[in-house]
Amino acid sequence: MTAHEIEEYLAPMRHEFADPRSLILPALKFAQGESGWLPAEDMAAVAEATGFSQAYVESVATFYDRLYIEPVGRRVINVCVTLSCMLRGSDEIFDHLTDYLGLDGEGTTEDGMFTLAKVQCIGACDRAPCLQIDSGEQIGPLEPADATCLVDDLREQPAPARYER
Amino acid sequence: MPQVNSVYRHREFGAPLTTLADYERAGGYLGLKDALALTPDDALYAFHRSGLRGRGGAGFPMGRKASFLPKDTGRPTYIVCNADESEPGTFKDREIIERNPFQLIEGLTIAAHAVECERAYIYIRGEYEAQAKVLDAALAEARGAGRLGPDALGEGRPFDITLYRGAGAYICGEETALLESLEGKRGQPRLKPPFPAVAGLYGCPTLINNVETLAALPPIMHRGPDWYGSMGPEKSPGTKIFSVSGHVLRPGNYEVVLGETTLRELIFTMAGGLRPGRHVKAVWPGGSSVPVIGEGSLDVPLDYESLNGVGTFLGSGGCIVMDDSECIVRACHRLAQFYRHESCGKCTPCREGTGWLARILGRMVAGEGRGAEDIRMLESLFGRISGRTLCALADGAVMPVQSALELFPEEFAHVAEHGSPAPAPMMGEPVG
Repeated sequence: MTAHEIEEYLAPMRHEFADPRSLILPALKFAQGESGWLPAEDMAAVAEATGFSQAYVESVATFYDRLYIEPVGRRVINVCVTLSCMLRGSDEIFDHLTDYLGLDGEGTTEDGMFTLAKVQCIGACDRAPCLQIDSGEQIGPLEPADATCLVDDLREQPAPARYER
Repeated sequence: MPQVNSVYRHREFGAPLTTLADYERAGGYLGLKDALALTPDDALYAFHRSGLRGRGGAGFPMGRKASFLPKDTGRPTYIVCNADESEPGTFKDREIIERNPFQLIEGLTIAAHAVECERAYIYIRGEYEAQAKVLDAALAEARGAGRLGPDALGEGRPFDITLYRGAGAYICGEETALLESLEGKRGQPRLKPPFPAVAGLYGCPTLINNVETLAALPPIMHRGPDWYGSMGPEKSPGTKIFSVSGHVLRPGNYEVVLGETTLRELIFTMAGGLRPGRHVKAVWPGGSSVPVIGEGSLDVPLDYESLNGVGTFLGSGGCIVMDDSECIVRACHRLAQFYRHESCGKCTPCREGTGWLARILGRMVAGEGRGAEDIRMLESLFGRISGRTLCALADGAVMPVQSALELFPEEFAHVAEHGSPAPAPMMGEPVG
């Protein structure tokens, strides 16, 4: 992702903000869309496009759970484990997925296909236990077998044109 | 036990109202028309007169909050809609955005008329990307129809809305942390005062309200503030949406008239009750950050004052129900892990204290507790965390644990010695 591409993306929204600092978060999300995470070159490009230092841009990026400063899998499987989901079996869903993916808890599969993550409440407790693929629609209520079907379906799909984490 | 779909207009209509035509067919934009017939001051007075209180959690009177905004400062006035719905157990705003987005847009437009604002921001949590897309489409349609843009408020008065996406941080639902995030900074709370009404976004006068609060405005303006104020108790009138989750058979959102429904009716009549043979053990009626109450409090009417009367808060209306199949300490540990993860780290008592809470509860659950010593340590922690921080996250971390310890002292003592029993979650139940 080049600074120029980011500038072009930001151009139509610049007038909506009294301070260009507000453009950093949209720029980071846009940049992350290309490779699915934020390598240092992308941080530098965001810094150049917004006019702030790379150190500052990184200080913002590191605050947010859904901005990834290390590589993650092609798809991130976010399993909600907060109270309402726990009461409905989220830990069983998570454990089932770790077994199925051959992981030892949270992490990325060797083939780089999936990152499995425990996340905090995603606002879909009526669908508990639920999960979210990247930042897609909250899916649930799930049984362990549903979760593995979902993984099988995702394996068949091509990489998304843009990552929406 | 009346269910009134005032904010959930789509339920009254019987279908999602995701196009402007459908929304207008369902009576949409009549409230704005009535609001624009009033002067801004009179519209503001109508908010005040309705008795509407903030629906995000704090319950501050909406009209009073709006009246704090200074006028004629020579600087822009902003409105920020808090759509960072992240309180565990709360998913009411998600449904407004998914199925009735124009009512939020209309509500924002009405508020813009009253406080004479030209630009509002909706700050939506990053995890609500699917919902953000619904709002994107609704905003574009409203703009195309002239409902937003250069003449949105009539007589050449412009108004528009920017949708701003968060990126995963519970704390950004705290209003000053939200402003920091919207300003392109780490989402850490600010010292108050100054309050956002005086120095909010970019240091300008700013009105911040929750999605549900703003979406309540169109019916208030159309049917009149006295209609709204006549529903429910004098001090907390109107309707409120409760999100019910946990061990109930029909989890979901239920909009009720405040004060006219009991917690028991919400859980058993609306949310389908529990599995046969099970009893209510613990309820967090206003999201996970409020004190937990037990079976003895189920007949409390759902309104701000009555819930305070049984030692808890109405909060966000995220009502988490737990039956007698689950260990209270395990539930508290899970919540403590949440607050530990979400503490922004700015204030030491919260940054360190939430870690201590999670660690102590964790070893208790795992059977590695230190008996009475752990209970004493928990008790000594509460007062060293609560009330010593810039924002309410730390209080929210303490209250559920402290109240649970008071309500279930024997179970805590037992778990501190012997650990929690193996989990037995409710799975595979039909969801109504």
